[in-house]
Amino acid sequence: MEKFDVAIVGGGSAGLAALKQLANLGKQAVLLESGKAIGSKSISGGILYSKKPKHGKAYNVEDVYGQEFVTDAPLERPILKYILHATSNEKVYSIDLSAAHSYQTNYAYSVLMNKLNSWFAKQAGESAEKYGGGIIPGVHVQSVEWKDGITTIETNELDRFQVKAIIAADGVNSEIAELTGARAKFVPQELYQGAKVLIKLPEQIMEKRFNISESDGAAHLFSGDIAQGHIGGGFLYTNRDTISLGGVYHYDSLLGKVVEPYELINKLILNPMIREFIKDEVPQKEEIDKSLPKEEQLRIRFSVSKLIRTWQDLRQSYHSTSGTEALINSGKYKSREEILERLDLIRKDLNSKYGTKFITDYVELEYSAKLVPDGKRCRMKKPYHKNVLFIGDAAGRGIFVGPRIEGINVGVDDAVRAADSVSRSLDRNNLDYEYLGGFYAHSVDESPYTRDMKQIDKDYLKIFLSATKDVPKDIIGSRYSMIFKLMSSETFRGLAVGFANILGYDRLLPILESEETYNQVPIELAEKLGRRMTSDYRPSIPTIAERVAKLKYDDDTVSHIKVSKPTSEFMKKMVSLCPTRCYSIEDNQVVLQHEGCIECGTCAPETEWRHPRGEKGITYQYG
Amino acid sequence: MESSRLNVSVIIKLEPDFSEGNVSYNSDGTLNRAETKSILGPHSAVASMAALNTKIMYNADVSVGTMGPPIAEQALQQSQLICDADELHLYSDRIFAGADTLATAEVLRAGVDKMHGGVKSDIVFSGHRASDGETGQTGPQTAWKLGYTFFGNVIGFSVDLERRLARVTRLVPIQGLHDVIEELEAPLPIFITIHPSYKPVFTTVSQRLTFFKCQKEARDRSALYKNYLKTFTAQTLGVDPKLVGLPGSPTIVYRVEKIPRAKTSRMAEIVDGSKRDQIKAVAKKITDMVKVK
Ligand SMILES: Cc1cc2nc3c(=O)[nH]c(=O)nc-3n(C[C@H](O)[C@H](O)[C@H](O)COP(=O)(O)OP(=O)(O)OC[C@H]3O[C@@H](n4cnc5c(N)ncnc54)[C@H](O)[C@@H]3O)c2cc1C
Ligand code: SF4
Repeated sequence: MEKFDVAIVGGGSAGLAALKQLANLGKQAVLLESGKAIGSKSISGGILYSKKPKHGKAYNVEDVYGQEFVTDAPLERPILKYILHATSNEKVYSIDLSAAHSYQTNYAYSVLMNKLNSWFAKQAGESAEKYGGGIIPGVHVQSVEWKDGITTIETNELDRFQVKAIIAADGVNSEIAELTGARAKFVPQELYQGAKVLIKLPEQIMEKRFNISESDGAAHLFSGDIAQGHIGGGFLYTNRDTISLGGVYHYDSLLGKVVEPYELINKLILNPMIREFIKDEVPQKEEIDKSLPKEEQLRIRFSVSKLIRTWQDLRQSYHSTSGTEALINSGKYKSREEILERLDLIRKDLNSKYGTKFITDYVELEYSAKLVPDGKRCRMKKPYHKNVLFIGDAAGRGIFVGPRIEGINVGVDDAVRAADSVSRSLDRNNLDYEYLGGFYAHSVDESPYTRDMKQIDKDYLKIFLSATKDVPKDIIGSRYSMIFKLMSSETFRGLAVGFANILGYDRLLPILESEETYNQVPIELAEKLGRRMTSDYRPSIPTIAERVAKLKYDDDTVSHIKVSKPTSEFMKKMVSLCPTRCYSIEDNQVVLQHEGCIECGTCAPETEWRHPRGEKGITYQYG
Repeated sequence: MESSRLNVSVIIKLEPDFSEGNVSYNSDGTLNRAETKSILGPHSAVASMAALNTKIMYNADVSVGTMGPPIAEQALQQSQLICDADELHLYSDRIFAGADTLATAEVLRAGVDKMHGGVKSDIVFSGHRASDGETGQTGPQTAWKLGYTFFGNVIGFSVDLERRLARVTRLVPIQGLHDVIEELEAPLPIFITIHPSYKPVFTTVSQRLTFFKCQKEARDRSALYKNYLKTFTAQTLGVDPKLVGLPGSPTIVYRVEKIPRAKTSRMAEIVDGSKRDQIKAVAKKITDMVKVK
């Protein structure tokens, strides 16, 4: 049997950081990822933070990948603006939270997980090779076995092999956690469901619309009626030439008031402010005359598609400084004007020859969804089991408090701590479970992120509250205005937070995260103080079938999910809550069609849930 | 031990790309070679995969050679991208033109002898046959000229480096029956023509890691393939001009039957998935077909 020092299960941002950090420490590690390619299974909102907490050290991406990270990694835009919008019908009341967003922050970038993880993999893989390790995509870890002091890993694709330690970075639906008995499956009370769509928008149009420059970006958060009575909210992040638009909602609140995840996204899209943000000029093909000969129909179809693609690509370049420069430098065009002339020409051609219309609409590139662990409630108190250390989403770690959405950076911090702990054990040749795991658990406990998952940071609260200082407190009904007023006073805030933290975050959460805070207060704010937004544009929203049809899958013949309780109330709710409508009811039994599954984990609590075999299942293009 | 390193050679061929969109026909239905794109032949690609396998399993030194016009470099580059070759050979000379399989085999024989710095090859791979009108004789004839044990239709192989023994599995088609799998053993050197169904599998962690390393190296190398390329003429190969090209070809082509372009028999019909009636029509077509069966 082959032997390796460390195995890392899962090639998301957390697992990859662990691999890189182990290589930084000169250790041998192999990373196994079930996706066909690294980055094909991860999704995020996503804003990647680098943090500088006042107390304690947070390990950031640049600590792992070096300062080149900021110059070389495929980052979308530095996010400087962070605005929260309270919505009610057409009314929107906006609060600038940029100061809270930059609290203890070195930088924050919008990112697309597929591209970013591919970059991480290149760095980590090359470093790991030097020590006899590396990355193996397309391999699904089946089980871990301990026998006579030897740890072996079994996969669907490879011969068994032996390791000294394991880092489990297999995400929120961690099979390693479940099959080793390290923790129970997460329950809805401990989870959020996140779903998003990626929307195309040319660079300079985006910059104008969001009032940002070429070298910055904006984040817009939404709460109020867009949440349709759920705890959570929407987000819109500007990438380089795309927009990430989605929502993160508490899972038990979705179970309580069942709603399709894509309907929540659609609700966002229909908000007049968002409509105005995403709209663009979109070609609309004319139906081809069916009476024409088949060959002619085909020729038209191909010509139109080709022309439209040329028009779109050229337009994308035209609306981007670097794109325009590249076209001019290549000698294809002499000036920006010339590109515009060509664009007009293609548009006219399309219109006159093929009847293509150019309308106002928006273009979706990818739909995605995944569960998100609510670190406040589900982080593993003991993040190890024997010689397996859990990191990132697999360990249930992430900070989701009000407008704070942080999972990627937390996973990277965990990864460094886990890699350091493993390296220490290897150096001292002491792989005793307690020696390894105990050290790691202690290190994780000291992480400033753990503190943020356990208690309220009164400095953050202060900044947050001062952002809302213009809100007349008496307009907010009930007990919240009182809390607001009290919290705005320095002395009271100190006392109250201290008291609350003694009382325990857990007990405070139901008050902080309630329908009132997420829905009623924002709706009241919008109604009473909001601006009326208008938009004439009516987006044509794709159906869920159309969204799923755009996704890339490698179907497995057998289902990776087994429905064990086809008549349970929970399973019946999956018909709505599965983001890709994989469930339906036949003869009062819930049946699954696994082919459209995007492995989000929503149905996991009451199914026998596994990831698909290596290379199978969903392959996200953007993430 | 370096002396026991396995020397693997591959002989490949540049062929017209018969895939849709790349192939072009003259108005009389014959192949328009000038307009048709050329690629590494599919059988040559499989032979290259077999060579990659020896690289991963036995850290073999891999050389790839082809006879053809200068443009055949492209095939060498594509093969290198698959097998991470350490050396590429192009045998190109005006006098090679008009060669039949035997004359080709003579050039390839001389080429294989020049590979690995003139050290004898342990295994030579070639494709099953070419897809542009060849009868599958080049491989066996080269093997015969080299004096190597020949195996055709090979679907799997392994090497015992210490005993310098090869074990191969090959498909033996028996008319009217299922194919039989035959397992044979022979001392090196051997010549293998690889069956199109061959697919290497790597089932250990180290093999997979080596596989990805080779893939990366292959990408880097093939981007700079000229650094690995040696071109030989009849003279530098040291072949007897009487044995190569037209003079070396005993085959007399009596007549060539034109293979007319097959009339497209399939016609794609485009169905709009969002239209219920169109989907229904498709479903009906399928059920009708099943009923007939
Ligand atoms: C909609 C949404 C918005 C979000 N927004 C933000 C944000 O703005 N900022 C932020 O910081 N965080 C955000 N998050 C959270 C963040 O995306 C996650 O915390 C982070 O991506 C988790 O990384 P990970 O490496 O722990 O897990 P993952 O990225 O899920 O990686 C796990 C990997 O393990 C693989 N795997 C699983 N099981 C096996 C197995 N048995 N064998 C082999 N491989 C296996 C999977 O294929 C996968 O590639 C958001 C999440 C969502 C869903
Ligand atoms: S079947 Fe389950 S895991 Fe798959 S997409 Fe639906 S809810 Fe998510």
